[in-house]
Amino acid sequence: MTEVARALRDRTAVCGVGLRIGNFPDRTPLSLAVDAYQAALEDAGMKREDVDGIIVLSFGSDYDRFLEAVGTDVRYAYQGWSHGRFIAPMLQQAAMVVAAGMAKAVAIVHGRRRRAYGQTADQEMWRQGLGPHGETPAYGALGPVFGAAVAAQRYFHMYGGGNEDLAPIAVAFRRHARLNPVAVRRDPMTKEDYLKSRWIIEPLRLFDCCQNNDGGACLIITSAERARDCRKPPVYISGMQGVHAGRQFHNLTLPGLGVAQQEVYKYRPTREDLYAYEMAGITNKDVDFLITYDAFSPLVLFGLERFGFCGPGEAREFVKNGRIELGGELPVNTSGGLLSEGHVVGWNLFIEAVRQLRHECGERQVKDAGICQYGSFLGETVIFRR
Amino acid sequence: MQPSFKMIDEKTGRYLPFIYPEELAFWEAARERKLKLQRCSSCRKAWYPIGPACPHCFSTKFEWQLMSGRGKLHNYVIYHKAWTPWFEKRVPYAVVQVQLEEGPRLTTNLLDCPVEKIRIGMPVEAAFEDITGEITLVQFRPAAR
Repeated sequence: MTEVARALRDRTAVCGVGLRIGNFPDRTPLSLAVDAYQAALEDAGMKREDVDGIIVLSFGSDYDRFLEAVGTDVRYAYQGWSHGRFIAPMLQQAAMVVAAGMAKAVAIVHGRRRRAYGQTADQEMWRQGLGPHGETPAYGALGPVFGAAVAAQRYFHMYGGGNEDLAPIAVAFRRHARLNPVAVRRDPMTKEDYLKSRWIIEPLRLFDCCQNNDGGACLIITSAERARDCRKPPVYISGMQGVHAGRQFHNLTLPGLGVAQQEVYKYRPTREDLYAYEMAGITNKDVDFLITYDAFSPLVLFGLERFGFCGPGEAREFVKNGRIELGGELPVNTSGGLLSEGHVVGWNLFIEAVRQLRHECGERQVKDAGICQYGSFLGETVIFRR
Repeated sequence: MQPSFKMIDEKTGRYLPFIYPEELAFWEAARERKLKLQRCSSCRKAWYPIGPACPHCFSTKFEWQLMSGRGKLHNYVIYHKAWTPWFEKRVPYAVVQVQLEEGPRLTTNLLDCPVEKIRIGMPVEAAFEDITGEITLVQFRPAAR
């Protein structure tokens, strides 16, 4: 660990969050983003003049249009790629910008309409090299869910089990969503309901896929010192690591599963793979609850194995018997996750981490929550502490 | 053969592959019922997807090499949802990943095989499917043995 990394631990914090989630047929992505920004400023007890950095990741307007709309001039602006795997890098960038003094407070803003501008995900299938999840339209390999389906199939081939092993994940997150007033999917779901849901791409069913919806999200990141003067308790950024990528890291897949050109082997994280814990000065045993990217249910298995919460092939047993539910050994995605709370490109997952650590989650509060890991199958992680 | 960037065949409603200038050799070979991939002139390994350099040794010298066409079914999934009307008449259909004897894996379909007969590890061989007057897809079918 470098001296800078040591110095960065707990020196920046999330001081304000704002979330809009649901169906907003008469709104644009820009207005949803502005709405979330206002909510986050209010949450932090800040005025827009207090924000001098902006990161926009949107399916809607660009950063300059957003700033024009909110009447703010900033000294740090960046626009990133609106994919779930890039939310952690964007949050990390905001923290590093604040730590480097390039801005005092950075707002990350996102707004999206599910249908307003066509199906973005489908258009992605025609990028050079085809879709980011392995989509290959001429062969009928369509939709991001393809990437999760091929990964799940290889996982079951290597370790045994099958689709029914994903039921505990969908059921657990639905239970959490039922305690979350803003969740989009709140109907009760039993294992039987799950098994009756239709196939989308076998081995995945409808309830293995996230709920796509309209939404806006904003998180404001500032220095730890300044966060302590804000309205709500600071949530410190303790440790972090980036998206691991390359031929061994096909998107929506754990290394070793043999998807696309990946080698086939049983993945176990090395010390280097767990850098964020070292930076935060913790181990995975200190994590009170895990937030992981769950656009598709198998990703939860991969997230657990990626960080050594269990060994290779063991996650399908790990998720059983309520272990990942509230009150269990390791509660996961306490808001209902993307599967049941809804999909705001994952920004809502960070917002849940922040609210839990502030102890403002009411019925779904993780008791004495002190440390949260956001960590996903590609290795990207942010460790938060209250 | 010319590069092609048409997403969909208006006549049939079927999705078409994009054919980039640097990938013409692959598509021209497919037209002749041959599976050719790039093989590194330096480390002699074949690679896929098609790209400007060898991902194994990073040499940019390669030749288009005829592959054996033999491989094993490495993975498969079964589509039940039809993304477009063309697929409505075809669901459930399988998308498979085949590992060639030479190493690379291709995402393709398995012709002449009902979805319930598909097994990981089954031997397969290259097949070719003309989808327009100009474009032929490299497909696979169960090996004749």
